[in-house]
Amino acid sequence: MYIGIDVGGTSTDAVLLSNGRVQATAKVYNTPNNLLSDLVQALDTLMKGVTADEIERVVLSTTVITNLIAERKNDPVGLLLMPGPGCKLQLYKKPNVHLLSGTIDYKGREITPVVEEEIIAAIDDFDSKGIDKVAIVGKFSPRNNRHELQVADIVTKLKPNWQVEMGHRDGGKLNFPRRVATTLFTCATKEKYQSFVYSVQQALRQRHINAQVFILKADGGTMPLESSIQSPVETIFSGPAASTLGAQALTPAGETSLVIDIGGTTTDLALILSGQPLLSSKGVMLDDQFTQVRALAVKSVPVGGDSIVEAVGKELIIYSERMGKPYCLGGPLPTPTDALNVMGLTKLGDIDKSWAAMEVLSQQTQRSPVEVARNIIDLFVDTVVTEIENMYLEWEQEPAYRIWEVMQSRKMRTKNVVGVGGGAMGFVPQIAIKIGGIPIISPYATAANAIGAAVAKPTMQVTLRADTEQKVYSIEEYGYQGKIEATPFGRDQALNLAKKWLLDRAAAIDIGDQIQEIEVTRQDVFNIVRDMQTTGRIYDVCVQTVRGIQWHVDAGGRLI
Amino acid sequence: MINKTGLVFFPAFDWSISDIHPEREERLLYTRDQIFEEGVLDLPEIVEYSPRVATPHDISRVHFCVPNVDDQVLAAHRIAAGAAMRLSDRIINKEITNGFAIVRPPGHHAMRVVHGNRGFCSINNEAVVIEHLRRTYGIKKIAIVDTDVHHGDGTQDIYYHDPDVLFISFHQDGRTLYPGTGFTDELGGPTAYGSTINIPLPPGVTDKSLHYVVDNLILPVLQDFQPEFIINSAGQDNHYTDPLGSMLITAQGYAQLTEKLRPNLAVLEGGYAIETALPYVNLAILLALAGKDYSNVTEPDYQPGKNVENSKVTEYVCRMVDSLQTTWRKSKEITIDQLCGSNKYYQRPKNIFYDTEYFEEKQLEKVRTCFDCPGYVIIDSHAIQPKLGRCRVLAISIHNRCCKKCIAEAWDAYQEAKKDYRYSYVYLQDKTEDTFITFRREDQSEWLTEG
Ligand SMILES: [Zn+2]
Ligand SMILES: [Zn+2]
Repeated sequence: MYIGIDVGGTSTDAVLLSNGRVQATAKVYNTPNNLLSDLVQALDTLMKGVTADEIERVVLSTTVITNLIAERKNDPVGLLLMPGPGCKLQLYKKPNVHLLSGTIDYKGREITPVVEEEIIAAIDDFDSKGIDKVAIVGKFSPRNNRHELQVADIVTKLKPNWQVEMGHRDGGKLNFPRRVATTLFTCATKEKYQSFVYSVQQALRQRHINAQVFILKADGGTMPLESSIQSPVETIFSGPAASTLGAQALTPAGETSLVIDIGGTTTDLALILSGQPLLSSKGVMLDDQFTQVRALAVKSVPVGGDSIVEAVGKELIIYSERMGKPYCLGGPLPTPTDALNVMGLTKLGDIDKSWAAMEVLSQQTQRSPVEVARNIIDLFVDTVVTEIENMYLEWEQEPAYRIWEVMQSRKMRTKNVVGVGGGAMGFVPQIAIKIGGIPIISPYATAANAIGAAVAKPTMQVTLRADTEQKVYSIEEYGYQGKIEATPFGRDQALNLAKKWLLDRAAAIDIGDQIQEIEVTRQDVFNIVRDMQTTGRIYDVCVQTVRGIQWHVDAGGRLI
Repeated sequence: MINKTGLVFFPAFDWSISDIHPEREERLLYTRDQIFEEGVLDLPEIVEYSPRVATPHDISRVHFCVPNVDDQVLAAHRIAAGAAMRLSDRIINKEITNGFAIVRPPGHHAMRVVHGNRGFCSINNEAVVIEHLRRTYGIKKIAIVDTDVHHGDGTQDIYYHDPDVLFISFHQDGRTLYPGTGFTDELGGPTAYGSTINIPLPPGVTDKSLHYVVDNLILPVLQDFQPEFIINSAGQDNHYTDPLGSMLITAQGYAQLTEKLRPNLAVLEGGYAIETALPYVNLAILLALAGKDYSNVTEPDYQPGKNVENSKVTEYVCRMVDSLQTTWRKSKEITIDQLCGSNKYYQRPKNIFYDTEYFEEKQLEKVRTCFDCPGYVIIDSHAIQPKLGRCRVLAISIHNRCCKKCIAEAWDAYQEAKKDYRYSYVYLQDKTEDTFITFRREDQSEWLTEG
């Protein structure tokens, strides 16, 4: 049996799955600073009549890190950057940032060395400000980490107790500003994340659960809870990923679907193409900065069931803010949820209150309450439909760098419209009609997040770049850089090396047995030519475990 | 509106002419790395788009591909041209203020008649954009500034008789570099005299003299012509490290040039110093287009005062600018009468060398010297293509502003040529109707593409 737990901002939702069926669900409203007891309470609700050793796997999704950063409760970090020549970014004009000498080029060749005196001066400055966490990031460090290691070495020698993070470890992709942000956030949240992990481990231990424990990532993959301590930022925005996987689990395998998650304040849109959730080409944005965290492509529309509705003159407007609960649940203002109640599409809270809310708007706009409710729903549906169309267009516009990518046509529209979240029942059928799709809403639509977490498979990816001219290779995901030993080193050797890394890493975190198939997602070769002679080759290879979910839950049960 | 710069990056990582050809897939690899690593695609001022694919019709608006578009044009060419078209659409729709198509393969050596690949080019990306802009949006006056070290002979050929398209090219002197053309006396045909300006520079020109040319010649000419749209044929082989050219231009020099030209659209052409120049020059140009600070973008080996210009070079450039200024001023007073007298046609023979496959094309180009319109062009072309063997074709192009009389004459010429046994193929491109017809003698078939 699998357990999925979604630790959200206001509540903790959990689900117990057995052979593709939902056995139990739990919802616990969070008590401040007492994650442990909330978790234990959720577990107890789920596990009535179930023994601890029947649990095979527990997967969590959480907004803990997202909230830390949003509320700016993360720890202060000193930045040591080696930006070299190139763009001048605003990013560097902040306190606690020191720009150091040291330049590496795109091939990983050193252009200018680091200067020790600058580093010592920077350490003194941080010390005087009481900063004991340092992030070190150099441009092109994924191609050559030598400068980052040199700087880290000096910091550690002088301050053995400081926490030091390096860019090539925390963000191996090429994108210096994103790498800076990722390393910074890793540095700033590690300590607090550790206490989250500790609470989870405590709760499971108290209930004698010895199953493997995973945490969901923003890209819909999972990693072992234990190893997630090294990269807490990977756990940000796993909420939307959970709901997308949940929706995927609630639809038949291999189909193409649009997922609409209607929550209180936002409506999240995602795409599942032939059974695979679509990944975003951009990294997750955190505190106005892009990071290198991979995520599913989720588009957030700023309207939800609890958005406030006001009359301006005779016009009705849905504002993107949430002022509290809907009127029918004791909130202060009319909301789309109240409109659904009046139209008989939902039965939530006090229906009379919903009528009263429409009555107020009805007087202002000189329309009947039913007309007002109808208008609000239309407005809501139109807003979401417009954004769906934009999302399709953006997706068609995704850059392509190879001929075959451009030549395969991308224009397509999905048939399945899968609704999840609180407002799904009321809105999704109408949205589906507007865009000519078939609405699918499972009875478990409101538990989709926890289900998504429960069914998520562990996934791993390895990106290898080998340069036979310089005889070096690097592994993007782990910040590893090493020498090419094999001769000759060709396409096969590059591919095998990447696969070996994938399997070794899987074994190291104890999920080796769960990797059945390895997919090659990219395989580029570039000839390096000097003076009309081929002097080497660059291999760019990406391999991953086949992404996917463990089970389809209740998939036969199309509703409506 | 916020000022935004569009980028289509299409490196065609899965295509090359041959393994060690200078125009190969590695060419944009380090540019990609530099642009990705700098994070410029995350800047709010820069929007990245996917390319579209130019259709055979889009290409037929410009080229007479012998025998057909599909015989000469690969997917890579169609995407490179399509990338530039996509950006031009976004610019006209005011989604972006300008754009940079960092694409390969390049296009500025591709001429109106295409028998094969010339100077790594098969179709002219800029010309495909121009015809698209005229047809789709009714744009009349367009300027192309070619900043590649090689003369943009293909673009010149296509617009030599077109008074609505101003073509300005500076390049290393044709006596010292491929393709050996682009001298100051090539000024456009009689119906378009003065709409072609060539600035052949001696080897060893640095940023200093280049900017003298820009400030004293290129910008005043542009100012005078008042184009509605400016395209920069942005070749990066004037760079001081380029293996093909002998110029001494820096990334900063290119970026300042971009800032002054303010092109609506820049399309990458040549540039073969793929490690030492392209990553830096392309980044600097992109930042300059986006109005961002590019002053920190420098080559790893660059030091101020590194490139010194010979004083003879400086003097030579000054003198040439002087004389071209005079030519430009005088060109406006020169009439068709003075150039052609009472001749009905202006004609010139041309020999065109296809350097990738080593064969020659012989052409006779005739322009109707009409006083009411830019006239139509008839090209009698003859080549021995390696694939096709000996092939003689007649190609007729009707300018989109042609008068009724010229249109009728051109159509008559087409019908006549169909009867002429010497031509294996006869083509008619009627830009007033956006129609393109091909006649094949072998089976007497005729087919038509329309927009
Ligand atoms: Zn060139
Ligand atoms: Zn005429």
